[in-house]
Amino acid sequence: MNANLAERFAELPDLLSGHVLLSVAALVVGMAISLPLGIFAAPRRHLANSVLNIASVIQTIPGLALLALMVPLLGGTIGYAPAFMALMLYSILPILRNTIVGLQGVDRGVIEAARGLGLTDRERLWQVELPLALPVIVAGLRTATVWVVGAATLATPVGAPSLGNYIFAGLQTRNWLSVIFGCLFAAGLAILLDQLIRLMEMAARERQKGLAIRVGSALMIVLMAATLPRFIELPSPAPAQVLAEGEAPARLRAQEGALQGARVRIGAKAFSEQYILADLIETVLEGEGADVERRDNLGSTIVFDALRTNEIDISIDYTGTIWATIMNRPEPIDRYAMFAEMSGWLYEQHGIVTLGRLGFENAYGFAMRADLAGELGARTLGDLAAHAHDLEVGGDAEVFTRSEWISTRDAYGLGAVSTRAMDATFMYDAVRDGQVDLISAYTTDGRIPAYDLVVLDDPLGVLPPYDAVILLSPEAAARAGLADALAPLVGAIDSTDMREANRLVDLERQTPSQAVRWLLSEIGLDEE
Amino acid sequence: MADPATPILELQAVAKTYAGGVEAVRGVDLSLAPGELLALTGESGCGKTTVLKMINRLEQASGGSIVFRGRDIAGVDPVQLRRQIGWVMQGDGLFPHFTVRENIAILPKLLGWDPARCELRVREMMKLVQLDVEEFGERYPHALSGGQRQRVGFARALAGNPGLVLMDEAFSALDPITRDALQQDFKRLQAELGFSAVMVTHDMAEALIMADRIAVMRNGEIVQQGTPAELLRAPAQDYVAQLLETPRRQMRAIAELDA
Repeated sequence: MNANLAERFAELPDLLSGHVLLSVAALVVGMAISLPLGIFAAPRRHLANSVLNIASVIQTIPGLALLALMVPLLGGTIGYAPAFMALMLYSILPILRNTIVGLQGVDRGVIEAARGLGLTDRERLWQVELPLALPVIVAGLRTATVWVVGAATLATPVGAPSLGNYIFAGLQTRNWLSVIFGCLFAAGLAILLDQLIRLMEMAARERQKGLAIRVGSALMIVLMAATLPRFIELPSPAPAQVLAEGEAPARLRAQEGALQGARVRIGAKAFSEQYILADLIETVLEGEGADVERRDNLGSTIVFDALRTNEIDISIDYTGTIWATIMNRPEPIDRYAMFAEMSGWLYEQHGIVTLGRLGFENAYGFAMRADLAGELGARTLGDLAAHAHDLEVGGDAEVFTRSEWISTRDAYGLGAVSTRAMDATFMYDAVRDGQVDLISAYTTDGRIPAYDLVVLDDPLGVLPPYDAVILLSPEAAARAGLADALAPLVGAIDSTDMREANRLVDLERQTPSQAVRWLLSEIGLDEE
Repeated sequence: MADPATPILELQAVAKTYAGGVEAVRGVDLSLAPGELLALTGESGCGKTTVLKMINRLEQASGGSIVFRGRDIAGVDPVQLRRQIGWVMQGDGLFPHFTVRENIAILPKLLGWDPARCELRVREMMKLVQLDVEEFGERYPHALSGGQRQRVGFARALAGNPGLVLMDEAFSALDPITRDALQQDFKRLQAELGFSAVMVTHDMAEALIMADRIAVMRNGEIVQQGTPAELLRAPAQDYVAQLLETPRRQMRAIAELDA
């Protein structure tokens, strides 16, 4: 089995159990709400219409948006709670709608017969209406199951581990095996649960006790097998160590066990560099005996909120990002002044401690193909103004709403340039293939040299500096040993090293762990 | 059993006015002796089904009084009332997810009879309506003919041993041969078990053949009531005479066949 696949399988117990716990709990609670509500509303036409309308409105909110909205609604909490709330809301409509439609669709003659025979309302509901509406209600439950198991992959960006981690991480690192792996398991889980529910209904309808027991046991076994890793310590090694088999494991020279048993949570945003750096920190801390937990693929502001509220202990952020999106400062200033002011502001406002700069800068820079730049005679952003009407710039969804693009556009007269948002993974290929003319590249990306792209100069200094910094949450900052353990990383990674590590992942299709081993040896932190 | 002179059911000045002021039924007086079969007949919309449904409180009377077994039903819990009154409806109203056995046993079960007694009752009822327990007991309604379903409907209505059976167009969905057989069987059952019955039918021939007494309704009121012979002899209105015209011909035909 190749290393990539082995690493994916090693992550499976954690991610699958997270996925199952999340989606099954959302379904169970969603059903506990929508079934009684549907039963209550079905005979009351006006109420039935109102609750269906409300549920439909919730359903029209795109899944990712609903999940993301739950984070601020729950006061900045990330992880299980917002994901559970959103998926639970998501499961309500199909079950509620089918309960109401199913009950309203029961033959009036049969209901009159039940009343005429002297069944009480409760007896009529349980013995006649619900059994007759059951196939419709179960169809709703099955729809909800498929939706929720699918949508649970979107729990990744709000910090709840799910099979979506494979998909988001795979998309960012162009690890298509990982994407397919996540899709297959998510789809397989949805189909399996859907079919088990179908068989349960069949058993109930045909009153086959044997089948009901068999299907019920199968369901229990699936759920227990999938969720067990949450509740017991698995003897199998952590992912990074699996990969290390047969290779020299990275051992650190720092004193052993300074953080023995301490639980440390690392948050990472959804791109390769963040995975590599999170992996690097994880390796360093595990070398000290810490018990590290990862929260990968968090949204950019979500990672900061999580740090502020002590939901995570450590993150890597960039000075310019904090400056513009957190501090809301429109004009960039000199990089050292920015670093100093940002550190002070973070500590005063939020108690967050800036441990230091890693040593490299990952700025936004506008890059285009070297041959096109030559053709247009463009060395600086200002040189593009004359061609603005013919140019299209690609970038991640974030950049076009940020002051970097707006200031650049206004400062260099690029108002006529058309913009096109896409996932950052795809923009380098898009500019190489001429699908866009210009991209908002990350300057440490390994694809800039590899694709023969040039980053245009910014003579007016509009683009802010983006020094990578290690941030500690207020609680983490107070913990003994954590800052000491991470101190060797400060100033240790220059732009060339980071670009190469990114290149290994993005272009050489190495895993972040492999890139980290290279990086450790490069910066002299591996065992000597 | 009750004194034959004491009516099991008595309606006095019963009226039904729907919200919005539509008077579906007004001034209905009826009396039913134990063991008697009363037919309510008239055109569609004359109020006959409304009268029937007011007796077991599927509809609430808005005026007058209905006394069943000496008690005004307005003071009786509708569920308890309905469990003492058999109900057979148009179509059959069988529970499609219950077997024949379960359909018949539903009321005995609700009444809290022990399983052995329920089973005994099911067998007894199926024998009465001439359905073989072994052959039909485990079938679902969709696997029965229309006549068989209606027989199960009767068995279900009678399983709780009611003193009164209400029938809403119980025979009208059946083909003529099946209908005739079931009508005869019903009369036999009534003679055997001694219950009283009120049947709603739009078919005057059916009323004449089956009922001890007939009440003819028009526009929410009873225009005439009496035995079939009284009606045939002296229709009180042209309307009644008109209703009797078709069955008269049929009666003659039946009489000729009988001869």
